[in-house]
Amino acid sequence: MRLRCGDEVFEVQVREAGGAVEARVAGRGLRLTLEPWGPGAFVVRTGERAVPLHLARDGRVIHLSWDGVVYALEEEREGARAATRHDPGALEAPMPGRVAAVRVAPGQRVAKGEELLVVEAMKMENALRAPRDGVVRAVHVAAGDMVAPGRALVEVD
Amino acid sequence: MSLFRKVLVANRGEIAVRVLRTCRVMGIPTVAVYSEADRTSRHVREADEAVAIGPAEALRSYLSIDRVLAAARGTGAEAVHPGYGFLSQSGDFADAVRDDGLVFVGPPGDVHRRMGDKAASRRLMAAAGVPVLPGYDGDEQADERLLAEARRVGWPLMIKPSRGGGGKGMRVVPAEAGFRDALAASRREARAAFGDDAVVLERFVERPRHVEVQVMADGGGRVVHLGERECSIQRRHQKVVEETPSPALDPARREALCAAGVAAACAAGYVNAGTVEFLLSPDGSFSFLEMNTRLQVEHPVTEAVAGLDLVRMQLEVAAGRPLSLRQEDVVRRGHALECRLYAEDPQHDDLPSPGRVLHLSEPEGPGIRVDSGLDVGAEVTVHYDPLLSKIVAWGGGRGEAIERMRDALRRTVVLGVVTNLARLRAIVEHPAFVAGELHTGFIEEHLSELSPRPCPPPQALAAVAAALGHAREGGTTGRRAAPDPWSSLGAWRLGETR
Repeated sequence: MRLRCGDEVFEVQVREAGGAVEARVAGRGLRLTLEPWGPGAFVVRTGERAVPLHLARDGRVIHLSWDGVVYALEEEREGARAATRHDPGALEAPMPGRVAAVRVAPGQRVAKGEELLVVEAMKMENALRAPRDGVVRAVHVAAGDMVAPGRALVEVD
Repeated sequence: MSLFRKVLVANRGEIAVRVLRTCRVMGIPTVAVYSEADRTSRHVREADEAVAIGPAEALRSYLSIDRVLAAARGTGAEAVHPGYGFLSQSGDFADAVRDDGLVFVGPPGDVHRRMGDKAASRRLMAAAGVPVLPGYDGDEQADERLLAEARRVGWPLMIKPSRGGGGKGMRVVPAEAGFRDALAASRREARAAFGDDAVVLERFVERPRHVEVQVMADGGGRVVHLGERECSIQRRHQKVVEETPSPALDPARREALCAAGVAAACAAGYVNAGTVEFLLSPDGSFSFLEMNTRLQVEHPVTEAVAGLDLVRMQLEVAAGRPLSLRQEDVVRRGHALECRLYAEDPQHDDLPSPGRVLHLSEPEGPGIRVDSGLDVGAEVTVHYDPLLSKIVAWGGGRGEAIERMRDALRRTVVLGVVTNLARLRAIVEHPAFVAGELHTGFIEEHLSELSPRPCPPPQALAAVAAALGHAREGGTTGRRAAPDPWSSLGAWRLGETR
């Protein structure tokens, strides 16, 4: 994947190998392990140290905290995928949480601003609303599902 | 039977949460008030009852005496705690609460008014033998009289509006040539902000430190101090890092300063918790600045070293109980620091940065306390103060407190809202801070330009890519975390969208 940080773009390739992650970042190889720790939180072991990593997605922007320092990256997608990424009718989870309710079904006509589903995070309910008038093309989650930031939830045509 | 039948907290954010906590501990039922912008805020959830008092705009909600009082009457509250900011230093509010037959947790209206006027409070303190800077605090405000007084005080000097605070309308005048223009500008700003353009003149002190004394008075004649705090690390007259004890004071100076704080409280006829602020000159002399007639934002550092709950003491005094604490009972142990986490961007001139909190992780550990009003999903709006939370570290000595604070800041995560966290880390890691060489221009001198934020290191980029699910196959790597919905979701599948 390609991650943009300011004017720089990093080509990052990762693969799983024997319980660890093997990665190439800008041509350099490295190895680490990654353990999920809580919603949006991981412990990353780089050999010498255990480093906390926290992540949250807001559309294409990836907010992260690495070793106590906050950064924002943008995910660069190529060609056709970029087009779907920019789809203004796609609704993504803005934060880690649990789907508390799904108010719509595929084929249903919705108006801009209409409540499509409710995501609960830390006991707080957040209504996610239709970004525009249209017809629900797909619903990817059901009530009770845990979702990570950036997960596609509903698509509206 | 609890101390009060019910207490209404007329505030929001971290301080409302903090006051509610002590009420809960004391078994006192609580009422929160909230604006439309705060309907789902943490302070609303933590109160036994919550009352909507108006729109987001503070003037029509948290600053509306009528609406807050209506909420108190409607819920049968017996006392009102104002927190800090908003109506906390309004003499009119304190009077209105009393006139309604309720208890105001703070000093009476006339004390607020007396100490809210810089000229009058300066005269009062000078008469009581509390040191004040050379200056002019008279009622005659003609330009010629002020110029003559300015010459007597000497240059450089400071022009301060007699009303108000927060640095509004204050001007430093380096020499006589700039006096008239500065006076006009100061009056203009003061008139706009406070509706009154009277000014006070004071000698300007270079590289001063800000120290203050926490006092507590029961209205029955007992006044004690709970030691000093140093709050020299400021940005635009806004405190950023505070600590106690002050590294600038030896025991004799500390005793003299705290005695002056008590003398000031006595002269003011003070009741309840208050703070007397002083300017400490490089030569070691100190002078009265002003008195804050409320609980201070930075009160937790005092609580940490004195082992006291100031809100509990405030409630007891407000209920008419005499202070059970004598001065010799106040024992202060160790050192405490507080860092204020603001929704402000140090890379962009400290602009407030509203947004939604997408992810939050607050530090914990021995000696660590976090006073926070935040939740995941919380909307940080432009309507209110940008203070998000306060991180407090206690240690046996200053060195340990700094070490603990550094670790706590490294473990603090707020995503989605830009904060001053990087600056806080830079401050507590700076050699001059570690050496205790503080002054109110510290940030401008050492850290006005934070080095631009670099990109994450390669390991971080690799970990992000892995976490977002761009490895080929497999479940989680490394050890399994405790079974929960997240581990079954699997690290690799996080963010797998289509």
